[in-house]
Order: sequence, then structure tokens, then C-alpha cells
Amino acid sequence: MKLRLLAWGHRAADTASREALAAVPVEEILSRLRARGVEEAAAVSTCNRFELYVASSPERECPRELLLAALSEAAGADLACGLETREDAAAAAHLFSVASGTDSLVVGETEILGQVKSAYETARRAGMTGKRLNVLFQRALYVGKRVRSETGIANGASSVPSVAVQMAESIFGRLEGKAALIVGAGAMAELAVKHLAARGAKRLTVVNRTWERAYALAARFHGEAARWEDLPAALAEADVVVSSTGAPSAVITRAMIEDALRRRAGRMLFLIDIAMPRDVEESAHALDGVYLYRLEDLQSIVARNMSQRAEQIAAARAIIDAKAAEFDAWARSLASGRELSLKHSDRPRRPGRA
Amino acid sequence: MNAHGVFAACSFLLYASAALASIAYLFTKSERSSRTMFFFLKIGVALHAAAFALRLSQFWTYPENRFFLPLTTFYGALSYMGLALAATFLAVEQGRRLDILGAFVLPWAAASLGAAVLLAPPDVAPLAESLRYYWLNLHPFLLMTAYAALANATGVAAAFLVQERQIKSRKPGALCYRLPSLDELDYLHARIIAWAYPVLLAGLAMGMVWAYRDGWRWGGDPKLTMAVVTAAIYGVFLWRHFIGGRRGRRPVYLSLLGFASVLATFLGAEFYSGRHSYLGGLR
Repeated sequence: MKLRLLAWGHRAADTASREALAAVPVEEILSRLRARGVEEAAAVSTCNRFELYVASSPERECPRELLLAALSEAAGADLACGLETREDAAAAAHLFSVASGTDSLVVGETEILGQVKSAYETARRAGMTGKRLNVLFQRALYVGKRVRSETGIANGASSVPSVAVQMAESIFGRLEGKAALIVGAGAMAELAVKHLAARGAKRLTVVNRTWERAYALAARFHGEAARWEDLPAALAEADVVVSSTGAPSAVITRAMIEDALRRRAGRMLFLIDIAMPRDVEESAHALDGVYLYRLEDLQSIVARNMSQRAEQIAAARAIIDAKAAEFDAWARSLASGRELSLKHSDRPRRPGRA
Repeated sequence: MNAHGVFAACSFLLYASAALASIAYLFTKSERSSRTMFFFLKIGVALHAAAFALRLSQFWTYPENRFFLPLTTFYGALSYMGLALAATFLAVEQGRRLDILGAFVLPWAAASLGAAVLLAPPDVAPLAESLRYYWLNLHPFLLMTAYAALANATGVAAAFLVQERQIKSRKPGALCYRLPSLDELDYLHARIIAWAYPVLLAGLAMGMVWAYRDGWRWGGDPKLTMAVVTAAIYGVFLWRHFIGGRRGRRPVYLSLLGFASVLATFLGAEFYSGRHSYLGGLR
């Protein structure tokens, strides 16, 4: 079989081609290709990449120029810039590493697996997949899952909000039913409310110096607003506190927290201070049962997680290469008439042999 | 060697293997070690329970022993302790993402049963006249059960301290994501102690009833005094936890102190309490 890949990835400096292609619906591209006699094609189109996989028998190979012309016509632009092409085993290896997340900007992210899956489904609905691409894409999804479970490439949260949520879960277990207090009503506060509400935090309270802004933010997320003077009382109620005011000095002092602790019956308190200058007195972290994380603490956890993920790329690469070689052996066996059987096990076997 | 001795020896090997697997799990993080640990442990507990039942039926062939538990010898006490430790671990930790605590608990179970199997004969004999009181017979049974539960609570306490340190450091490592949350550990820790405490008090009371019949004298048995201290420490812990609402590191230190006192009571008494010397049975 012949497999051909035309890719415009996020590593290319020029983004014009990628943007032009991203604007075209994949269905349209596939139907244009079909009109030109292409039998099997699938396109992975995300904000970071556009990749076209075309498979055929060796006799009915589609030349690169033909494919490029069809794409240019669909996108209405010259696409030669930033184009990478790959063939056969290298193309399969590329799809496997895309599905595994080793090729992503955020290494190991899982969204790409879903995007590969929907690219395959779109092509299948369009009737543009046959035996070759079916096997290729199903293999890619399998390799993507396997790499994530067998290596640490997807370990650890990869963004500040998800690290904050993860830490909150390390303290409280599930966030459902926990009370959250938002101090400040700016853009950061809104982002925090969104994440907490998504995780099922109940009882969102917003405290702000201007009551109207607190009220507006609280109303949007079915929370409640409290007056600035009630901040000490709100501290005694809350489990997670996110503070992001523009105040020039600390608005939550150690004394306030000590006072709140006396009314909390031993419940732990998780404070996230994303304000600069700081909103929470640093010495509060020393109190038993109080955990104060500042923005840079969360950022350094993200950085460490990402570098640990990067260390796993070599291990992922080994699995990807092995699986690509296996796929290549299968692809070659198609022409010989003695087709190998690809199992989701370690080695391809010939049918009829134990 | 009789059948129950063979069973107990096999289950000692299984406990030891489970303990090794649990230590491997602590360091390698491989799920396979955790599964191996539970596999060995389940068979070990089943064999051990069978050994206990067989030994009991043999013990009861002496008519004067009927319906007493064979726990008054070194072998009987330590073997039961091992069983209680392993069984409580299975009941408490399995399914709670606490497999990692195996490394803190299972070596004790293996050591306890191992000491019994390797050092003492498993044979049964008629109970001495002075030991034939049901109060007294239940006394070691209840206390061993309570101690086994408290050992498990101490494992949970250790996990709590590790997790707390991780979160307080602001640099959580891989361990942080593998341990349960602080809240869960805190809850589990206090729950185990709350269950074990009445058993501990009941066991202590049984011993006291017997001591009273035997001629009560305060300070006559240091082990009794130490057991009262243990009960007092855990009592303070429970009071502060459930009534005072104290959580966090410091209460957990109190619980560790309580277990240190358990160890001192259990092991220390060998050296200064004639009445409680299990090792005496070895000679």
C-alpha cells in the first residue's frame, strides 16, 4: 500500500497556509479529493495543524502535486509554504506520535486523541476510508492510549487552573459540595469561579470592595455576593479561597485567618493568592491546616509537570516506532497476498498459525 | 508438625511475599506489585484463618479448654495478632487507594506471624487452672484486635503526615497524586481509632476484672499501668477530634504517641511484667 502525508504543523514558521486550510470544512476537502479520483483520505484539522493522510494501492498512487492542487483550490491559496510531506512508515509514525501527544505544543495533552478520532469519523462518514485508513486510524488511537498509559507522558496537570484544582482535590478529595470564596471581581476571579463551578463547588461567595461588581459576578454563576466588611465571616465558611484584588497591601491577614480557624471546627483551608502585590499574608501558610499557594507556586508545579512529561518522550518514541514498524510490515504484506494479522498485542502474527 | 502448623507456615511465607511486594510497590509504583500484594495477602489470610480454625478445634479436644480461645501462649497471641493485622488491612485499605500503606503495615503482620511460626511450637495444651476464666480469655483477644486496628490507624497517620508535608511544601511530588486526600486520610484515621477504642477499653476491663479477683493492687502490674496510659492518650485524641474539632498535624502526632505507647506496653512488658511475659512460655 502507498500512504502519503501532507502536513502543515505548528512548528512551521509560516502560518498562512495552515490558517487558510483551517477555514475550509474537512467534508468539502474530502469531496474535492474524491472528485479527483482519490479513494481513501482523512484530514486532521485542528488549530495547531492540518494534516492530510491519503492511502491507496501502489498501482493507483495519487501524486503529491495532484493532492496539493486540490487543497490549494479548496483553500484558495498557495500552500507550498510550510508544507511537510511524509510517506509510508514515516507517515504512520507521524500519525501515531500526533495521537500520542508527543507532537503537541502541550506534550501529552489528551484533546488531540479526540481530534484524531473525529477526523477518522468524518472521513468514514464521507465514505473516504477503506481497509487501509481504517486500520491506520484505529491503530493510531490504540497507540495513543497505550503510550499514555504506559509512559508518564500525560502525568501531572498542565495548566495553572488544573493544578489548582488538583491541589484542592489533594486536600479535600472531591470538590463537590465545598464552599468557595472569591475575593475580588476581576477577570482572574471570573476564571477561578468558572473552574470551581465546573468542578461542582457549591456555595460560591464573591466579596469585592465595590458591591455592585461582586453582585454582577455572583449573579452570573448562581453564587452570592457578600459585603467587604463580611470578609472575616466568609473566611470562616469557605473551604477554597481565591484572592485576586488589586489592593496595595494584604487584605487577608494572618490574624483574620487565625480568627476564622477558631470557628471552623478543624476544617482545612486552601488559599490561592493570584494577586500582585499579594493579598494574603505569607505567614498564614505556617498555620496548621492552612495551605497558601501563590501564583508562582502553581506555575512552578506546571513547569515541573511539563518537564517531567518531556522526559517521557523518548519512552513514548520507542512504543511509537515499534508500532509504526509493525504497521509498515502489515502494509507491505497487503501487496504480497499473504496479509499479516495485526492484533492489539506485541507482535503481528500470520493468520492460521499459533 | 500438624496441619495447622503447615498452614500457618505457608501463610507466613505469603505475608512475607505480600510485604515484599508492598515495599516494591512503594518504590516502583508498578500496579503489578500492588496486585501481587493483594493476591498473596488474600490467600495468606484465608490460609491463616483456616489454620486458626484447625488449631481451635484441636485445642477444644481437651474438654477443659472447650470454648476458650488459644491465645494465651506466645504462639497463639502473635499468630492471632498477625491475622488481625492482615485482615484489618484488607478490610480498611483495599479499594481506598491506600495500597501504598501496605509497606507500613504488612511487614508487621509478617513479623508477628513469623515470630510465632519460627520461635514457638504451635502445639496446644490444656489451659492452666488459673487461666480458665472467660474474662481473662477474651482479654488478649480483644486487646490484640484493638492493637491490630491501631497499627493500621498508624499506617494511615503516616500517610497523612507524608501527604500533609507534600502539600505544605508547595512542591508536591508524584507521591502526592498517589495518596488519598488529606480529608479522606484524616477521616479514616479517626474512624479506625473510634472503632478500636471501645474494643481496647473492653479488653482492658476484662483484664481488670480478672486482676480484681486475683487480688487487686495498683502498680502491681506495670503493663496494666501502661495500658491505662495508652487508653488515656487515645481518649484525649478522640475527645479533641470529635468534640474539640481539632484536625491537622498535631492531633496525628498524638495518635503516633498513642501507638508508641501500645508498642511499649506490648513489647516492653516482656521485660518487667512476670504475669504478661509471653516469652516465658518459650522456655
